[in-house]
Formats: sequence, structure tokens, C-alpha cells
Amino acid sequence: MDRFHARARGMSTARAAWAVFAKDVTVELRARYALAATAVFALATLAIVSYAVGPFGGRPELLAAFLWTVLLFSASAGLAQTFVREVERKTWLTLRLVAPPAAVLLGKWGVNLALLVATEVLVVPVFLALFGVSPRSLPAFLAVLALATIGLSAAITLVAALLAQARAHGALVSALAFPLVVPIVMAAVAGTRRALAEPGVAPTELTVLAAAAGVVIAAGVMLGEHALED
Amino acid sequence: MRDLGVRLGGRVVFQGLSFEWGAPGSIAVTGPNGSGKTTLLKVLAGLLRPGRGTVEWRDGGRVLAPADARSRLGFVSPELALYEDLSALENLAFFARARGLAWSESEGRAWLARLGLGDRGSDRLGGFSSGMKQRVKLAFALQARPTLVLLDEPGSNLDEAGRAVLRQLVVEAARDALVVVATNDPEEAAWTGSTLALAA
Repeated sequence: MDRFHARARGMSTARAAWAVFAKDVTVELRARYALAATAVFALATLAIVSYAVGPFGGRPELLAAFLWTVLLFSASAGLAQTFVREVERKTWLTLRLVAPPAAVLLGKWGVNLALLVATEVLVVPVFLALFGVSPRSLPAFLAVLALATIGLSAAITLVAALLAQARAHGALVSALAFPLVVPIVMAAVAGTRRALAEPGVAPTELTVLAAAAGVVIAAGVMLGEHALED
Repeated sequence: MRDLGVRLGGRVVFQGLSFEWGAPGSIAVTGPNGSGKTTLLKVLAGLLRPGRGTVEWRDGGRVLAPADARSRLGFVSPELALYEDLSALENLAFFARARGLAWSESEGRAWLARLGLGDRGSDRLGGFSSGMKQRVKLAFALQARPTLVLLDEPGSNLDEAGRAVLRQLVVEAARDALVVVATNDPEEAAWTGSTLALAA
């Protein structure tokens, strides 16, 4: 394909991805399927554990691990809904008919990223308040949060796309996403622990998170066409 | 299509299908329940991969890539649904934009008006009857002015007025495009120029 056609196709994929993103955001704002699944789970878990256990003795490694456990399970519960809903409502075939696979994958990733960010906007301040903790390095804390969110949403989106039409979709997504999300969550826990306990940035953890996110996104770009075909 | 065969769930749906269709024109695909009418249309639409055989779309002498072929396709089927949380106009707008087509609200309203839904464009699809949803599906399929139109049981859930509009749309579309109608209804089959009968 010559450069002109490659660029034209790229722009058309970007426009289609934006259309998918905008459609899903509209549907989500009206029905709140996925946001309810992620945010309610996370907030309920935070409230129950803070009441039952208390602030973990102020230990940053436990606080970091708890925060990312909550975010991971919220993401696993909610982000796959953007695909499950399409299959259950029989719009999956319609979507595949009109939008290029890469556009569907990109658009859905955008939605999942927005969903996870929205969940974190609700959950993280509540977490910090309930456990009485404040990051020693706010820039590092936010950088870790941002990179891990990008990687986590990309990993779950890719796996959810691959399994869109499988039965027991929900359980399979969590299981099959495990190898992709474990390095991301481990680096996120380490980076968050450091940001809670120490001033300054956490270059190692940020590098790992950026690399993990890059790998998952690259895998999505390469597998996109095949992920959504029968 | 050459030596097309599909097996689903261990059962052979059809096999050995080979033919060449040219546009413009219209063809009815008929056959009893389970003969593979819907399956054939899904294969033609590129939504289902055949177990054997090939489907080739040509524009002049050029073989089209699957993505190009799909961009010229309009498809109505009971297996395709539209977004019930969006209005009729929002559905049409989304599908046009996802396909990279220019879309204007006035054109969307014109299509809905033609299909008897002129005053329902801003209403969410979730509140539509099955017949009304079928009309919106027809608008979805035809608004892109496709060169291949696949209609699977297009008259289902339509009242007499809807069927009259459908007949007109089929006849008009067949002037410029290849229209394939999968149907059990002899009246719908009669709207087309030829018939492919599938056996069970």
C-alpha cells in the first residue's frame, strides 16, 4: 500500500475509532452499565475493608497493594462489559460490519480508559481519605497511576476483544488477562508504595509501566484485525 | 462464489455452492428453515468465514479486499441489532461515521421519513416496536448507497405499508446495486429477477 493510501486509511480508522468511542460514551452515560460495575465494586470494597481492618498501620506497601487490588478487580469486572454488552444485545455483528477492527479496538480502549479514569477519580480520593494517607510525592503517585491505568485498560481491552464471543466471558477475561496485568500491577504497587513513602520519582517502576503499556498497545495494533474476526 | 461450504456445530449447512452474480440486479435466496439462507448472507457479508470455498467481490476486473467489499455493503438481518440506548438518528449517524461516510441530519431525517418514521427520529430505539426497528434497519442498510445489498427476511415485522415501501426500495436499489433477498415469502421472492433455491 502506498503512503497516500496508508495515511488515508489511518485517518479513516481514527475517525471510525472516534465514532465508536463517542457512541459508547453516550450509551454509558445513559445506562451506566460498566461504570456501575467498576465504581460500586471499588467503593464498597474500600468502605468494608477500612471499617473492618483500619489503616493497615500506615504501612505503604500494604496500602499500595490494597489500592491496586481494588482497582484491578474493579477493572476486570467492569471493562469487559463494553464488549459483553455488544454481544448480548446483538450489536456486535453490526459493529463489525461497519467499523474496521482496528477502529473498534481503539474506540473500545478509549472508552475503557475513560471508565477506569472515572473510577479512579471517585476511588482514589476516597482511599486516601479513608486510610488517612497522603503521597509523599504527588507527581510520582499520579505518574504511576496514569501509566498503570493506560496499561491495565489496554490489556483488559485486548483480552476482552479476543474473548468477545466466548461463553463464560467474564471469568475467562480475568484468567487470560492475568499474565498481561501482573507485571503492570506489580510495578504499580511498587511505584505507589514508593510514592506514598518517599519523595521524588520512581524511575524504575515508571520505566517498567511505560514498557508494559507499550508492549500491550503494540500487541493490540498487531493483533487487532485478527482479534475481532471469527 | 466458488465451492462454498459451511459447517456449524458439526452439521453441514450447505456445500458445493458455486455461482457468479453481477450487479445491478436482484436475486432471491429461498429455501426451508435450516437450509442456510442466513448463513449464506453472513458469509457474503464477511461476517462468517466459510469452512471451504471462496467469496470474491470484483469491481471491474479488480478483486476487492474484504474491508473494501464490506464498505460497499448494506445488510439487514434479524441477527443484526441497532443500539437501543440511541435514537434512530443517532444510530444512523454513528453507522455512517463509523464507515467514514459524510452524514447530515437532514439526510437521516429524509430516510426515516421515507420509511414512515419522520417524526420519531429523536426517539430512542428501545421504545420502538419490532416493525419500527426493522424500518430503521432498512435505513441503516441503504443510507450508504451500497453496491451490494443483503436483505435477510426484510419484510419480517412490517405492516402492509412497510412492505410496500420495502418493495419500492428493493426495486430502486436493484437499478444500481446487486440486491440479495433471503426469504421464505413468495411475494418477496417475486420482487427479484432470479432465484437461488437452497435445499435443507
